[in-house]
Amino acid sequence: MKLQFKLALYNTLTKVAIITLLGILILASINHISTKHIQQRLLQKKSKLILNLSNVEINDLLTKQGTFTDYNLLKEEYIILKEVANTKVPLKQYFITEQKSIEGSNEEYQILIADFIYEGKTYQLELGETRSNISQLEHTISVFTFFILIVAVVLTLIADLAFTQFLLAPLYQIIDKKLNKVNDPINFNYEPVATTTQDFKILDQSISSLMNKIATLFLTEKEFIANVSHELLTPISILNTRLENLLNDEQLTSEGENKIFACLKTLSRLKSIINSLLLISKVENNQYHKKDSISIKETVAEVFEELQHRLMMMDLKMEMNISTDHTFYGNQSLIHTLLMNLISNAIKYNIPSGTINVYSLNSKYGFGLFIEDTGKGMDAEQVQNAFVRFEKFQSEKEDSHGLGLAIARSIAAFHQIELTIESHKGKGTRLKLHFPN
Amino acid sequence: MKILIVEDEKNLALEMAIFLGKEGYTVEHAWKKSSAEEKIFVNSYDFILLDLGLPGGDGFELLNQLKKISGREDAVIILTARGAVDDRIKGLEAGADDYLAKPFSLTELLARMHAIIRRKHKLEMNEVMIHKFILDIRNHQVCFNGEKLNLTNKEFEIFNYLVLNKNRVISRVNLTEHVWGDILEINSDSNFVDVHVKNLRKKLAVHAAIEWFETVRSIGYRINL
Repeated sequence: MKLQFKLALYNTLTKVAIITLLGILILASINHISTKHIQQRLLQKKSKLILNLSNVEINDLLTKQGTFTDYNLLKEEYIILKEVANTKVPLKQYFITEQKSIEGSNEEYQILIADFIYEGKTYQLELGETRSNISQLEHTISVFTFFILIVAVVLTLIADLAFTQFLLAPLYQIIDKKLNKVNDPINFNYEPVATTTQDFKILDQSISSLMNKIATLFLTEKEFIANVSHELLTPISILNTRLENLLNDEQLTSEGENKIFACLKTLSRLKSIINSLLLISKVENNQYHKKDSISIKETVAEVFEELQHRLMMMDLKMEMNISTDHTFYGNQSLIHTLLMNLISNAIKYNIPSGTINVYSLNSKYGFGLFIEDTGKGMDAEQVQNAFVRFEKFQSEKEDSHGLGLAIARSIAAFHQIELTIESHKGKGTRLKLHFPN
Repeated sequence: MKILIVEDEKNLALEMAIFLGKEGYTVEHAWKKSSAEEKIFVNSYDFILLDLGLPGGDGFELLNQLKKISGREDAVIILTARGAVDDRIKGLEAGADDYLAKPFSLTELLARMHAIIRRKHKLEMNEVMIHKFILDIRNHQVCFNGEKLNLTNKEFEIFNYLVLNKNRVISRVNLTEHVWGDILEINSDSNFVDVHVKNLRKKLAVHAAIEWFETVRSIGYRINL
């Protein structure tokens, strides 16, 4: 989830919580305050009633026993007077809240029950006042609160989103321009992102300075590669030509000739190692372009044609089953080298009269190319070390310098191709190249 | 034929001069940019073997200067150990005729020079007689008594290279590099060139004895003329 949305969500949730809490508090206090008010009023009414009481009035109230005195339409109040047996002092006076049905309408009443003595007789006075007013008020307030809540949430959500978007815009710019779209430190855009937020400025500067360091390292490595090429390959050149000239000497014995050829072979091996290491370094240093449109089917076919004679030499059967072709942009000669290395490994480590099966699988996750051989296979430890430079297995062939798979891996990584090995000792090896969509 | 070697490594230039001298070429040597410029302006050469990294300047500058002089047909082969990937393309675009990465084999250099000669001077004899076989370089064919041999491309290349470097033992590694190029790691298993040579010899032997096509044990091959 984006930071912007997280912040907005957090703000909204806290506001909802605060308003809800406030609403509950207000409702509770309204309830409490209005109850107190009603009770106060009932007490006042009682005092007034008792003060103005006359015998006539008592009789009037007593004869209407059981009926309600309604002086309003909504039956908001009622009064009942009963004569009770002489009770002990102190006289009872208390409040109750009760559901009462008065003339068909059932409502909740706050009731004051008070005993009093008038001219030697004890009476019980029941004064009631409906709570429906308060319920209505509570209802109105809760509706209002809810409405305010909704409006506040919507408004603040919009405001928060807009503000965080404005606030975080430089951050997203940094992420987009300086992190997501960077795959070449040499062509990094050092122009600072416009922002007044200090944290973003620091972030921007840090990324730029890191990139600057990487770019410097990259260039240093490039220079180093160029130097190594020159400083190592030139002496090899001199040795090579000198030895070749020695071979032209007519007085050379055949033993001498053999030794010189052995030297030339060693030199060639040295050259091959240096060139392989240089290739890996150059690939990892992004010194190759990726502008060729490459067809996997065609490239595999090319490689097979070139390796035909080696298949024949080992009497290998080769099956190519690439039903759907895959085309992508990359470096043609590197991809050729990659497939060449992998397929020639499948030949080199195969058994005589074995099989090599090259096939493709297309899924929604991308294109998969498999190279399967019926060769000697590797155990788990060997598979783990297969990509390690100078690691050689089952190599009776002393000429191998163990860089083939290291080269393959760096070329694959350069093209974002995933290269995995599955192998069973004695059964064969299956290489998988997974091309992203 | 006159050759100018522009190379700051004197030892390398010397070895090249010895080899090319034996092949019958007249060789001059310039080891820095200024002396190379002088020589280029004064004389014209059949070949200029040009190193890119020179004291006093870049080989490319020299190449550009040469291309500005009208009427010059000096063939330029760039010889470099520089690691830059695009040097080859840059060199060929600047008008070089070929490009050889150091370290190279002198026999390979000779083969490249011959190819340029054939391309540039069309008068060059394109048919070479090897005992009774006729090697037709232009059409990539070998004939015996007018009958065309059915050779594959690789077999022809091998035959051609051995004939060009006649009387000289050519190692398997050297032969492989010439025919298959500088394919990394693949060279490690250079014995596969034997299969091609075996097939080539079989096809030749059908027509005549080929005792002149020699296998030098554990090293390589030689064609004696």
